[in-house]
Amino acid sequence: MTALLSVQRVTKVFGGLTAVDGVDLDIEERSITSLIGPNGAGKTTLFNCLTGLHRPEVGEILFSGSSLIGLRPDEITDRGVARTYQNIRLFGRMTALENVLVGQHLRLEASHWSAVLRTARQQSEERAARELARDLLDFVGLSGREGVVSTNLPYGDQRLLEVARALGSRPRLLLLDEPAAGMNPSETDRMMDLVHRLRDEKGITVFLIEHDMKVVMSISESVAVLDYGEKIAEGTPEEVRANARVVEAYLGPEVEVQEATESASH
Amino acid sequence: MPVESATRAVRTGLVAFAFLAYLIFIGVPGKIGGSALPVLALISALFIWLALRRESAALSGTAVDPGPGAYQKKPGWEIGPRDTSDASPFVDHLPFSVVTGFVLKGVLAGCTTGLLIAVLSGVSATAMGNGVSIQPVFDKIVPVNVAALIGVSPGQIAQAEVPLLRFVLQVLFFAGAGLLAALVAAAARSSQSQAEQLARLTTRLSGPTTVNVARYAGVALPFLLLAYIAWLGLPGVSVFGSNEGTIRLLITLIATGSGLFALRLSLPGRERTVVGVLLGLGVLAMPFILDQFQNSVMGLVFIFVMMGLGLNIVVGYAGLLDLGYVAFFAIGAYTYAFLSAPFSSPYVSSLLLLLGVAPESPLLGYWMALPVAMLTAAAGGILLGIPVLRMRGDYLAIVTLGFGEIIRLFMLNLGELTNGPRGILEISQPALFGLSPSSVTFGLLSSQGWIFLLALVSSALVAFVAIRLNDSRLGRAWFAMQEDEDVAEATGVHLVRTKLLAFAIGATFAGMAGQLYAARQINIFPENFSLFVSIDALALIIVGGIGSPAGIVLGALALKGLPEVLRGVDEYRIVTFAALLVIMMIVRPAGILPSARRRIQINDPNEMGPDSKIVSDGEAEVVQTAGVAKNAANGQEEAM
Ligand SMILES: Nc1ncnc2c1ncn2[C@@H]1O[C@H](COP(=O)(O)OP(=O)(O)O)[C@@H](O)[C@H]1O
Ligand SMILES: [Mg+2]
Repeated sequence: MTALLSVQRVTKVFGGLTAVDGVDLDIEERSITSLIGPNGAGKTTLFNCLTGLHRPEVGEILFSGSSLIGLRPDEITDRGVARTYQNIRLFGRMTALENVLVGQHLRLEASHWSAVLRTARQQSEERAARELARDLLDFVGLSGREGVVSTNLPYGDQRLLEVARALGSRPRLLLLDEPAAGMNPSETDRMMDLVHRLRDEKGITVFLIEHDMKVVMSISESVAVLDYGEKIAEGTPEEVRANARVVEAYLGPEVEVQEATESASH
Repeated sequence: MPVESATRAVRTGLVAFAFLAYLIFIGVPGKIGGSALPVLALISALFIWLALRRESAALSGTAVDPGPGAYQKKPGWEIGPRDTSDASPFVDHLPFSVVTGFVLKGVLAGCTTGLLIAVLSGVSATAMGNGVSIQPVFDKIVPVNVAALIGVSPGQIAQAEVPLLRFVLQVLFFAGAGLLAALVAAAARSSQSQAEQLARLTTRLSGPTTVNVARYAGVALPFLLLAYIAWLGLPGVSVFGSNEGTIRLLITLIATGSGLFALRLSLPGRERTVVGVLLGLGVLAMPFILDQFQNSVMGLVFIFVMMGLGLNIVVGYAGLLDLGYVAFFAIGAYTYAFLSAPFSSPYVSSLLLLLGVAPESPLLGYWMALPVAMLTAAAGGILLGIPVLRMRGDYLAIVTLGFGEIIRLFMLNLGELTNGPRGILEISQPALFGLSPSSVTFGLLSSQGWIFLLALVSSALVAFVAIRLNDSRLGRAWFAMQEDEDVAEATGVHLVRTKLLAFAIGATFAGMAGQLYAARQINIFPENFSLFVSIDALALIIVGGIGSPAGIVLGALALKGLPEVLRGVDEYRIVTFAALLVIMMIVRPAGILPSARRRIQINDPNEMGPDSKIVSDGEAEVVQTAGVAKNAANGQEEAM
């Protein structure tokens, strides 16, 4: 089985700083993969390379067999890659529903003329889009919040709305940048449940950056570790946990490994 | 109405009066002569409005919605359908008399001002037969000023015998201004929930009759004003004497503006449709009942409405600050001029020869030239758009500003092509079915009335297109781009296409406006297309409310119409105007009639009620209308 996403020797340099350094990574279809690493390791930068916000100096990114290098962000989204942001970036003055509708933008085809004339086709397309937007809001757990202006949503709901917006483009691969950051334990559980349902019910491949080791260990089928832009380990959660370089670079002293092991076994 | 607020209303009237008295003593009315009355009426209306606003701000302490459950951190500005069983605390705490109170207080404050003016005039006036004679009481200054106030020009002072009817009407006019201010304040308040709020008030909180009276008064006002304008235009009717023309213009401006508020006060659904259609017919009748001068001003106003609507697409919807918008206006105007004026530039004629067409004049009529002007302007829009695609904010503003100037300098200096500073003369008039303003059969409509009519129809068309586009995926993409360009792109918005569409559509509207402007002016010169046109267009959408077409119409009425009424004040015109603008932006920072989204941005909890909604959500609106109906039904049951 060929990977859905194949990252090959990707390198991104900012001035003198090599933020991502020759990273190789394969992500299987319908898998949940975590990317971990200390702050400033280059995780977000890698996501930015995948979504076209940055163009890597070296390397190749193959999605479903074709290259994403040099494509505009909207073209990449069109291919089926959607994302959320570490620091929430919703369209603040738009309602929850409208945010998801913008997410569907490139799946809507009615011409602008037909919007002026409100043709039957355009109207039914709009209705379907609203329908789908509501379904997606329900799916992420924001039923009944569609009319709320997104800046007025509580923090946790804003993260969920970002996921719903990303789902609007009907992605095959969803990149989640620290989806549980700043959430309380029950909100985190909700988010993790959502990640599972994304894969199980919608068949979406999930690639996420996460700091909470408990979450990472319990949710992911495979884990990749970045440190100073380099991939230092990759494998199942157990393998990564046992990896000496990871322990040194990221997990720190022995005690923490112990803790991680314990919490994973709960 | 509680004694306290009645006192406040009278006090407001007194303050307004003190201000007026001050103006009289420094001799302003005498100086501005003919148009003293409307100016002062406006000033007093403004005072009243300010006072009412202060009160409404004090009131809005009750307007904060804690929202359902612990869901909301900030006052909940929910948009979209609401559960009708979920009674908003806002509605329950709002005193039923709010709207009625506003109206009564407005009238009271207006009458105080009016009566005091009557008293002041009375001091110096003695009954004389069936009229009132103006006598000098104080010095030279005062009678001239008082005379000007009641519509007698300083020159007429010697034999001033003012018909009693006219005198009474002047006084009533002030009361009317107060009433209008009250309605505007009431409408502005109700806009936070739009008509739904009023519907709930009428049905739930007893006193439905009084509130309905206020609402119907608001809806009826523009029609009354329209009838009044028509009556003033009848031969033999002279109410305001030498000021007739200016005052009729002022009332026309007010009628058009209050029409927009009336539309807002009407309940969504059938009532709004009926009011809208009737208002539309009333406004369409205007070009036929106004005279040449009033029509020419209104024509200009609506040409700028078109400009405003176009610029609003670029600035308001897409969030791209364009300071060179006049360029497309100029392109539209010059394109039509080339095609329809006797002047033929050597370039154009050699081009025609190349194409094998014999040059004749005019090349194209108005309607044939229209698509050409629109396309040329759109091309200009794209031409400007491409180099600035990657620019944001200040840089974009500066570059576009330069573009506007380049086009003007081009017109000025390419003498061969454009006739330079001598301009292009004798541009032909739009004709329809062989009818033109100059033809005898066209007697009903003056030439400027014809231009006004065209401007009205074109503005309506442009507004229609703009609103529909904004309410589609394109509008959402524009707004998303304005919110966060990078995220919009990553979410799937094609930035280049979306930006260029905004520039091109905006430019097309300006091109249409420019063509009509050229027809209106007959002769155009490069200096007609200075930077100030861009600034005017931008100012009118800011004053009216960025992103809100109704606000833009109000902005154009205020910015292009009022200065014409203020003509008499020439030396004070700009100062008065600047002061008005400053006050405006303090009182309503988001514009006169802001769009729901802008109100969120300004973040003023007074402005957004708990059940505000973004109208673009068409379906939600239907649901909501149904909700209102249901609510109304509930309310009636409760009342029984
Ligand atoms: N646009 C940028 N320009 C310059 N340096 C950047 C940029 N984005 C990220 N960096 C740098 O790259 C490194 C990796 O950052 P980032 O990918 O955000 O880390 P992580 O998400 O793993 O915490 C950091 O040192 C950061 O300062
Ligand atoms: Mg990061």
